[in-house]
Amino acid sequence: MTATVRDVEANASGPDADVPPGSSRGPSPGPSARPPRRPRFRVLGAYLVTVFVLLNLNFFLPRTLPGDPIDALLATAAPIDNTGQARAELQAYYGLDRPLTEQYVDYFANLAEGDLGRSILSRRPVTDMITERMWWTVLLVGTSVAVATSIGIVGGIHAGWRRGRRSDRGLLAVFISLQNIPGFFLGSVMLYVFAFRLDWFPLSGARTPFADFDSALATVADIAHHLVLPAGVLVIGLLAGPFLLTRAGMVSELGAGYLQLGRAKGLRERRLKYRYAARNALLPVVTATAYELGLAVTIVVFVERVFQYPGLGELVADAAANRDYPTLQGCFLVISLAVVTFNFLADALNARLDPRTTP
Amino acid sequence: MTTKIDVDGSAAPSDTPGTTARVSPSSARPGSEASLRSPVFVIGASVVGLLVLAALFASWIAPYDPLDPRAGLPLEGPSGEHLLGTDNVGHDIFSQIIWGARPSLIVAVEAATLVVIAGGLVGLVSALLGGWTDLVIARVIDVFLALPGLPSILLIAALVGPGRSTVVLAITLFGWPRVARIVRSQALSLRQRGFIAVARGLGGGPFYLLRRHLAPALGPILVTGFVNVAGVAILVEAGLAFLGLADPSEVTWGSILNEALAYPALYFSLLWTWWVLPAGMVITLAVLGFTFLGVGLEPRFNPRWRSGT
Repeated sequence: MTATVRDVEANASGPDADVPPGSSRGPSPGPSARPPRRPRFRVLGAYLVTVFVLLNLNFFLPRTLPGDPIDALLATAAPIDNTGQARAELQAYYGLDRPLTEQYVDYFANLAEGDLGRSILSRRPVTDMITERMWWTVLLVGTSVAVATSIGIVGGIHAGWRRGRRSDRGLLAVFISLQNIPGFFLGSVMLYVFAFRLDWFPLSGARTPFADFDSALATVADIAHHLVLPAGVLVIGLLAGPFLLTRAGMVSELGAGYLQLGRAKGLRERRLKYRYAARNALLPVVTATAYELGLAVTIVVFVERVFQYPGLGELVADAAANRDYPTLQGCFLVISLAVVTFNFLADALNARLDPRTTP
Repeated sequence: MTTKIDVDGSAAPSDTPGTTARVSPSSARPGSEASLRSPVFVIGASVVGLLVLAALFASWIAPYDPLDPRAGLPLEGPSGEHLLGTDNVGHDIFSQIIWGARPSLIVAVEAATLVVIAGGLVGLVSALLGGWTDLVIARVIDVFLALPGLPSILLIAALVGPGRSTVVLAITLFGWPRVARIVRSQALSLRQRGFIAVARGLGGGPFYLLRRHLAPALGPILVTGFVNVAGVAILVEAGLAFLGLADPSEVTWGSILNEALAYPALYFSLLWTWWVLPAGMVITLAVLGFTFLGVGLEPRFNPRWRSGT
């Protein structure tokens, strides 16, 4: 579930492991591996191809996979369907009785209009449901990625600078272990301890229902109060990525000549650490934030489920549990496009920031 | 096989998590037996070992049938009779957790096997054929890596309906590109190595090269890949079950959590401590076990240690 399947791999496997998938870093595994030169149009091309594949997956998956969604619909809509009439009507409603090419053209036409169909559960347009809930997820994911990246960077700078020492090993063990706790379990633990036992935080939701605050500040405080626990779970799940990347960057700068020169010049250790080494080490971290995002949308599905946070993740979880295909597909499309787009922007940004990646 | 390849442990940067676990110079050499005695590896191996034992001997260890709703009264607290109490129906939770090791492990092994085979084959073919084939395959790998895995897996699982094979296939579909990429890059760099050129010059055919030179060098990567995918698979399986996308006729750790969290009064008593906590801890432990195993194997196997060209 890494930028995809949640990356336990990211911290455990081979040389490219500390670099998130699809990044501009190339195949060569040597210690001196630098991103291969990759002209910008190729980045753009790869992005467009990926988007095209995504849109097609979204069209073909439900039509080719075994297990007809119509069957599941029928089970709830019309359990007794001797004549097959209900089935035929459903198929006609979803346009499944027409030739595939026509469906294909229609699919893209509807997409262009922003029409993602209607939810089976609520019977509302999927697009509306998504836009309504999207901002909560943007808030939750945005906050978490920002916090996790900051903590990860600080920890990584420290650990990398003191590679192999006790504090480095300790941080490594803690960060990697924390990342392995499934979000849905950690969420439940936080909920039990901090919301029920200690009563420090609200139990669920994104704001106090029916509350009418007299000032904007109070509203913001209420939202922030609701945000702490779910964001905390996300942050813990996201920490390891930026930490490992920063740490690796620091370690590879350790023996650099400019540090030796600086030391010989009598520069302070702090200055060398933060102004010199960290500056070089942080480049990949900046762009890898986009991949954090891919991981975040994975965890957020579970976190929002546990905290009943009214964002996209909960919508996905709900839709998946109830086999609400139009909603699920709409969410899939929006989330995937967001992740892929951010990856592309990261690659483009990387090319800007690091002159070595552009010819 | 490490001896065959030039190893320069002291020059290699140890910026991967596993390597720093042992930094004393004597044990820093890769391939030394020390890595098998490192605490990380030992912990990982024992956890995974326990998991395997539980899965194999579930019927002996578990005191009750995990699906028997009359194993006890509903919502009994932990006691000598029910080590971890019972759930809202009366299932014995301890038995459920023991039996839950089976589906987890089966999914892990099946998914990891498929991912390693598919990824290994694609990577190898891509690197060995070269040219256009390689270019196309490399692009395909890139595209797949860019797809967000969990949303896709969720979509597939919901479309196909619950079932173990769905989960396994979905994990495979989104897991192979990582292995393929690493194998491809390793095979590409191996191809450039002198000993391969010599073997080829002496008339070694592709299968001979594969068997004698490539397989031994790529084996470790595949082993590490296997362990990593297994850990991820356990997480994905539990996650899908947690979201209610598991086979309802099967007891899994994820489905225990799914049922527990759906129970309205879960948090208002100590119920949480025996219904949610053990299942969650077991999932965490299993995933951690595989991660530790992977990290522990890493210094032995990490291609970065055998510095490229």
